[in-house]
Amino acid sequence: MSTLTTNAEAVTNAPDLEVLARPPQVLNNRNPHWVTGAVCSIVEGRTPLWWWIGFAISATFAGIGGACILYMIVTGVGVWGSNSPCFWAWDITNFIFWVSMAHAGSMISALLFLTRQKWSISIARVSEAMTVFAIMCAGVYPAIHIGRVWFVWFLFPVPNSYGMWPNFSSPLLWDVFAVTSYLTVSSLFWFAGMIPDLSVLRDRATTKIRKFCYGLFSLGWLGTARQWRHYEMMYVLLAGITSVLVVTVTTIVSSDCATSVVPGWHATIFPFYFMVGAVYSGSAAILTLLIPLRLAYPQLKDLITPSQLDKVCKLLLLMGSCVAYVYVIEIFNAWYSGNAFEKGAFWERFHGIAAWYPITCLSINLIVPQLFWFKKVRHCLPLVFVLAILCNVGMWFERFMIVTTSLIHDFLPSSWHDFHASIVDILTATGTVGIFFTLFLLFIRFVPVINMSELKAVLPGSQPDHPTGGEGH
Amino acid sequence: MSHHLPIFEGHHLPVAGSSSEPLYAIGGRFESPDALVNATQALSKAGFSCYESYTPYPLHGLPQVMGLPKSILSLLVFGGGVSAVLIALSMELIPTGIIYPLIVDGKPTDLSALPQFIPIVVALTLMISAITAVAGMILLGGMPRLNNPIFAWDLFQSGASRSFFIAVESHDPKFTTASVTELLHDLGAVDVTAIHQEPKDPE
Repeated sequence: MSTLTTNAEAVTNAPDLEVLARPPQVLNNRNPHWVTGAVCSIVEGRTPLWWWIGFAISATFAGIGGACILYMIVTGVGVWGSNSPCFWAWDITNFIFWVSMAHAGSMISALLFLTRQKWSISIARVSEAMTVFAIMCAGVYPAIHIGRVWFVWFLFPVPNSYGMWPNFSSPLLWDVFAVTSYLTVSSLFWFAGMIPDLSVLRDRATTKIRKFCYGLFSLGWLGTARQWRHYEMMYVLLAGITSVLVVTVTTIVSSDCATSVVPGWHATIFPFYFMVGAVYSGSAAILTLLIPLRLAYPQLKDLITPSQLDKVCKLLLLMGSCVAYVYVIEIFNAWYSGNAFEKGAFWERFHGIAAWYPITCLSINLIVPQLFWFKKVRHCLPLVFVLAILCNVGMWFERFMIVTTSLIHDFLPSSWHDFHASIVDILTATGTVGIFFTLFLLFIRFVPVINMSELKAVLPGSQPDHPTGGEGH
Repeated sequence: MSHHLPIFEGHHLPVAGSSSEPLYAIGGRFESPDALVNATQALSKAGFSCYESYTPYPLHGLPQVMGLPKSILSLLVFGGGVSAVLIALSMELIPTGIIYPLIVDGKPTDLSALPQFIPIVVALTLMISAITAVAGMILLGGMPRLNNPIFAWDLFQSGASRSFFIAVESHDPKFTTASVTELLHDLGAVDVTAIHQEPKDPE
C-alpha cells in the first residue's frame, strides 16, 4: 500500500517534461539544408520593392544629415542650438544614445555565447550588425562636435606643433580609445563570424561578380578540420574580449560626465547607470529590427522564434527595472547627500523650464518595460514592436535629460539658460537614423542575416556521437 | 567538367579538373557526420597524414580524431595582449612623464598616478588582442587564399554547405590511387573522384 502511495506521489511530483524541455532552436524540425536555403534565399532572391522604398527613404535622411554636417563644418558649431551654459547638447546626447544602443548587441552575441545560451545564436548576427552600425552612427559626433574638424588629429597620440601630447588622463581621450577599440573589436567579431557563411554564398554564387566578391571576403575558407579548430578558438577568445567591452565602454563614456563636478553628473552610480541603460535600449533596438525582419521574410519565422523574442523581452524587462532602480536611487541620493547644488539640480530637473523631457523619460522608462511582466504582452509581437520603439524614445530622452538638464542648471542662477535645438541639430540626428537604416538594409541584402554554420552545428543530429567520449566539451 | 574514366578497381572513378594536369587528391563525399568521423579515424589509423576533412560546421571531436593538438591561437592572443599593455603604458607614460610633462590640476604624471592611465590600457589591450585573434585565425587556417585545387571538384562547390568531404592528397607518402580509392569506398564514401588541378590560363 505504502509503495503504491509512493509511486503515485512520484508520478504526481514528476516534472512535466514538456514544460522543462528547452524550446526548439528551429521550429518545424527544419534540417540544415533547409536552413541554408532559407537564409541564402534572402541574399540570392530578387530585391523586393519595400527594400528599395526603405532604402530610398533612409538614404535621403542620411544625405540630408550629411549636408547638415557639411554646413556645420563650413559655418561653425553656432548652427547648432548649443550655447552657454549648455555646450553639450544634441551632439553628446546622440553620441551616448548610439554608442549605448550598441551594447545589447555585444551582450547577446558575446556574453550569451560564452554562457552557452544557444537560443541567442539565431539573433546574434542581427545584433552584431546593429552594434557595428550603431557605433558608426555614434562615431559621427565626436569628430564633428569639436567644431574645427581639421584639428581632429589632436585626439591621436601624436605631439602637436608645440610638441605637446594629448592629455592621457582625460576621460575625453579615454573615450576616443574606448570607442575606437569597440568599433574595431565588434567589426572583427562580426566579420570573423561571417567568414564560413560567406564561403557558402561563394559556393552557391551563380554570377561571376558574386563569386568574386564573396570569394574575396570569405578569404578562401574551406571548412577543413584544421581551420575550424583555430576558428572555434578565435570565436571563444573574441567573445571573451567583447564581453569585457560590454562593461568597459559605457563605463568610460560615463566618466565623461561622472569625473566632472557638475551637479547631476558627479555620481559614482554613473557607470552602472549607463551600462544598464545601454543594454535596455539595445534590447529594444534589436526587437525593433527583428520583428519587421521576420515579417518581411516569412522563412525566418522558423529560425527567429517567438521564444527567442520572448527572452529578449525579459532581458529588456530586467535592464528596464535596473534603470528604474537607478532613477529612484539617484533622486534619493540627491536628497540624502545634503548637497544644496545636487538637491537643486534635481529639484530644477522636475520643476524647471525644461521639466517636460525628464518627465517624458521617466514616464516611459518606468512604465513601459514593466508591461513585459505579462506573457500576453511579450507574445503579441505588434505590441512588442510599438513598446520597443517607445523604450528607444524614452532612452533618447534619458540621455538628453542627463546631458542637458545638468548643464542648464549649474552653480550660478545667473548663468541658467534653457536649451533650444536648431533645425540643423534635428536634421543631423535624423541623418544618423538614416545612416543606421541604410547600412542595415544593405546588410540584409548582401550578407546572411543568421549565423548558419553556428546554427547548423547545434541542430539535433548534427554532431557525431562523441567519438572521443565527449572529450573537449 | 567531370567525365568518367573506365572501370577502375571495380568502381567508376570520375575525374574533376583537367586530367592532363597533375593529380591533386582523391576525394569522397559522406552522408552523415558520423560517417565522416569514422572515415577520418580510419584514415588516421591507416597512417595517412596529408588529408583534409571538410565540414559545413565544426564537428565536435574531429580535431582529436585527426590527432591535431589544441590551437596555439590562445597563446598568440596572450602574447598580443601582454605587448598591448606594454605599448599602451609606454605610449602614455613616456610622453606624459618624460617628453612633455603635462601637469593638469597638479596631478602627478608618473607611475604613482597609474589609475588614470588604466582605461586606455584596457581599451588598447582588448583591441590588439582581438586583432591578433582574427589575424591569427586567418593565417593559421592558411588564408587568405583565393584559389584552391579542391575548387576544381564541382561537387565540392555545389555541396560544401550541406555535405561532408574527405580529400586525400596525392603527396601523402602512403598515397596510391588504387589503395585510396578502395579505402574511401570501403569507408562508405560516395562520389569518389580523382581531383586534378585545373588547366592554367592560356596567358
